[in-house]
Amino acid sequence: MGAGPAALDPATADAGPLRSLVFETLVRLDDAGAPQPCLALSWQHDAAAKRWQFNLRPGVKLHDGSSLTAAVAAPLLQAALPAATVTAAGDAVSIRANHSLPNLLLDLAHNGWLETGTFRPAAFDPGRRAAFAANDDYWGGRPFLDAIDVQLGRALRDQLADLELGMADVVEVAPTDMRRASGDGRALWSSAAISLIALVFAPGPDPRVRGALALSIDRAPMYTVLLQKQGDVTAALLPQWISGYAFAFPAAPDLPRARALVNALPPAARALTLTYDPGLRAARSLAERVAVNARDAGLAVQVSPQNPRADVRLVEVPVAALDPERALAGLAAALGLEFAPNSSPSPAAYYESERKLLDGFRAIPLFHVPVLYGVSSRVRVYAPPPITRLGDWRFDNVWLSGTAP
Amino acid sequence: MTFRTRLLIAFALTVIVAVVFVGAIVSTTTQRAFERVDEQRASALAAQFRQELSRRKQEIAQRVKDIAEADSTRDMLIALSRPDADPSVYVDAAGPLAAAHNLDFLELVSASGSIVSSAQWPARFLYQEDWVRQRDDWNSREPFLKREDLPADTALALISVRVASVGESKLYVIGGQALDRDFLASFVLPAGMRALLFREPDSIVGASGPLPSAAPLGPLIGALRKQRSEVSRTVQWSADAVSAETFHAIPLIRPARDPGQPDELMGAFLVGSSRAVEVELERFLRRVQILVAMGGIVVALLVAFWTTARITRPVEALAAGARAVAAGDWHTQVDVRASGEIGALAAAFNQMTRDLLEQRDRLVQAERVAAWRELARRLAHELKNPLFPLQITVENLQRARAAHPEQFDEVFRESTATLLAELGKLRGIVGRFSDFAKMPQPQFETVDLNGLVRDSLKLFDAQMQAAGVNLRLDLAPDLRAIQADPGQLGRALQNLILNAIDAMPSGGVLAIRTGVHEGGVRLEVSDTGQGLTAEECARLFTPYYTTKTHGTGLGLAIVQSVISDHGGKIAVRSEPGQGTTFVIDLA
Repeated sequence: MGAGPAALDPATADAGPLRSLVFETLVRLDDAGAPQPCLALSWQHDAAAKRWQFNLRPGVKLHDGSSLTAAVAAPLLQAALPAATVTAAGDAVSIRANHSLPNLLLDLAHNGWLETGTFRPAAFDPGRRAAFAANDDYWGGRPFLDAIDVQLGRALRDQLADLELGMADVVEVAPTDMRRASGDGRALWSSAAISLIALVFAPGPDPRVRGALALSIDRAPMYTVLLQKQGDVTAALLPQWISGYAFAFPAAPDLPRARALVNALPPAARALTLTYDPGLRAARSLAERVAVNARDAGLAVQVSPQNPRADVRLVEVPVAALDPERALAGLAAALGLEFAPNSSPSPAAYYESERKLLDGFRAIPLFHVPVLYGVSSRVRVYAPPPITRLGDWRFDNVWLSGTAP
Repeated sequence: MTFRTRLLIAFALTVIVAVVFVGAIVSTTTQRAFERVDEQRASALAAQFRQELSRRKQEIAQRVKDIAEADSTRDMLIALSRPDADPSVYVDAAGPLAAAHNLDFLELVSASGSIVSSAQWPARFLYQEDWVRQRDDWNSREPFLKREDLPADTALALISVRVASVGESKLYVIGGQALDRDFLASFVLPAGMRALLFREPDSIVGASGPLPSAAPLGPLIGALRKQRSEVSRTVQWSADAVSAETFHAIPLIRPARDPGQPDELMGAFLVGSSRAVEVELERFLRRVQILVAMGGIVVALLVAFWTTARITRPVEALAAGARAVAAGDWHTQVDVRASGEIGALAAAFNQMTRDLLEQRDRLVQAERVAAWRELARRLAHELKNPLFPLQITVENLQRARAAHPEQFDEVFRESTATLLAELGKLRGIVGRFSDFAKMPQPQFETVDLNGLVRDSLKLFDAQMQAAGVNLRLDLAPDLRAIQADPGQLGRALQNLILNAIDAMPSGGVLAIRTGVHEGGVRLEVSDTGQGLTAEECARLFTPYYTTKTHGTGLGLAIVQSVISDHGGKIAVRSEPGQGTTFVIDLA
């Protein structure tokens, strides 16, 4: 896989899919975003949702061999929930607050990671390698795989070559390499369209330049050719399947308007530098296509990889949560946009928040794309899918052909 | 300026002009020869360019044709012809094909005109190339020039289009090569030559990259745009003429797509030929020319000096002879051993002096006779006057003795008195003649001319008062003393004063002025009398010539003789009615 996290810290934003191999939460979200029992078998709360009690799953052991008891879990959860008071109450964990905690289940699905996962970390060399061993004491039963060796910092092309040469069983795949990756009996695993590809402006360029660039971009050919129709064309931050209103943000190009904006600019202001991280999927092709579209509007866009002084960046930002509020906040933070939390969560409020975020074209959403993995033909899997909608790895039911499941 | 100097200058100028003329001819001839060589080299390279361009066209056409006819292209065409065709599968197809066929540009364009794959600009997939659909005869067309847009700039390309077809389905294969530095690098250029490629609007590249400063090529590009035909210009890149380079521009023109439209100038192939070697050679030749010219001029001057000396020596001898003759040496003969005109001139000169001597002798003889005649005439005239009273008196004595003896004594006494008076006059006449004949040599001593003037004037005070003549003296106060015979010079001055008084019988002004003139002293004696005519002035110093009713006409002759014996000059200025001035210059 790519660079990977700097540390196996589940609380960090770049913990990535490795986190779900090692860590678990009290509550897990299903594909519909509904909370499901994980380390907590059940829970109750009062009418005001100020007092919650989570009954822990019995027989769960931490990777150090100790049992997961309420007394062990409470201080770990307290660190993740600073606004509440977490205490042990027998076999249960009690969470109280002076205010209502209506989203506590969602919070616990994304926070309060406990080291009880299916695999134990065996070695970790940041940016190079991460090794995991099967957790023999896993409460759901030992995974089929004895160990997972993850090569970090591998370019997508190299990963694909590793897959084709049989040197790797699961690799990240760019959309343009889907056909190659899925050849010779290989399979593709995919998350939901959970990653936002967008352009983000640095402070400086004229708003008319930003608007002209946004209006000049023809997303459809990029989606068809470069992304192989994976994911969705979008002009919104949140994917349609999360927000339900993404279609309301027009994504079609408007070249006459873009040209009109450009013509109103002085010639010196008609040039931009666009940068991208070469490690991102299809980033160079997308950036160059954006430059071609901008040229049609009269903007001269110079594509320059890894240029910290560029006017605009092509970024890929994962949607870190399934609930719109949390997802929008995460995206806004990742894109450097100022997000004001909604006091009354509703689709209309989210839409308004998102519209405000996108006003002025500080960020130009382009696509929501899934995370794609090429999988060698010897990898076998039982349901549920090994990649969640958010892209987390669930390798509990994965095994390799030739080995007993 | 002497004749020799003039002759020398004439020789030198002739040699210099000749050397410069020859040098100019050599320079011009050399320059033309270099230009011819330049033209031949440029023409050879231009021919090489056309040949290379033609070869490239054939190669490109063949390569594009190979791609269009390849099985893989056919398979692609068939796949794209299906209703559920996915062109994105082939988005990267052009790159490897272009690399495999050594093409800089390759685009695969669907029948609808949209780019399936572009090697030179992969990001332009699904863009429209509508121009390719406007013709149906691509397979029979020659490769053509096209301005090809690239992500960073624009390239000039030789493009060939071939149409791959299966049934009704078509796929346009547009391939080509850039006319760029690699193209230029393929030329084999002789030393001192280079090839550049100009691409509209303002790009000029060479085999080593873009030209740093193309401004000096501006006039050439301007002429190219105007004429749209091959043009040549010499370009100087710096102030040093060594940087000069002659460029021959071959225009790259794309014929107009529509009749009536002008052909489009896409660029030009510029063949540059450095003039450094020619300039260095020209400079060397110029230096040689200058050295040869200077040497030639020095030699020519020496020869001219020797030649002019040979030519002018007899002329100078003749001039010296002429000066001697002018100085009075009529016996002068020149010894010139020259032939031709100079020899004839010398002979004529010698003959002339001989003739002059003979003529002078004859003239002296004639003048002597004339002088004697004049002397005799004057003497007869002077003597005749007193002789007649003598004769009458003697005859009266004879008649008185015969007729009146009683009165004879009284008559005798009166007659003898008359005879004595007339004999006295005769003696005076003879004395003056004797004085003129016996003019002594001056005895020089230091003399104050102003004092001499004042002493002489004292003798005439009473006479001037009687004649009503006023004196005006203007004597230079610090006049230097002169060497003169005071007696003779005083007598001459007195003669002039007496003449002036005689010229003013009714009174007037006698002016005497002394002063310095040309290193000597000048004495002027003026009267306000009737003046003299020009003829009278001319004859005034001739002995025995006089304008007065009395006098021998020897006075001014004596004055001239005295002044001449003192090494001075005397002149007269006079006009009728304006008085007369005698001017004496003494050393």
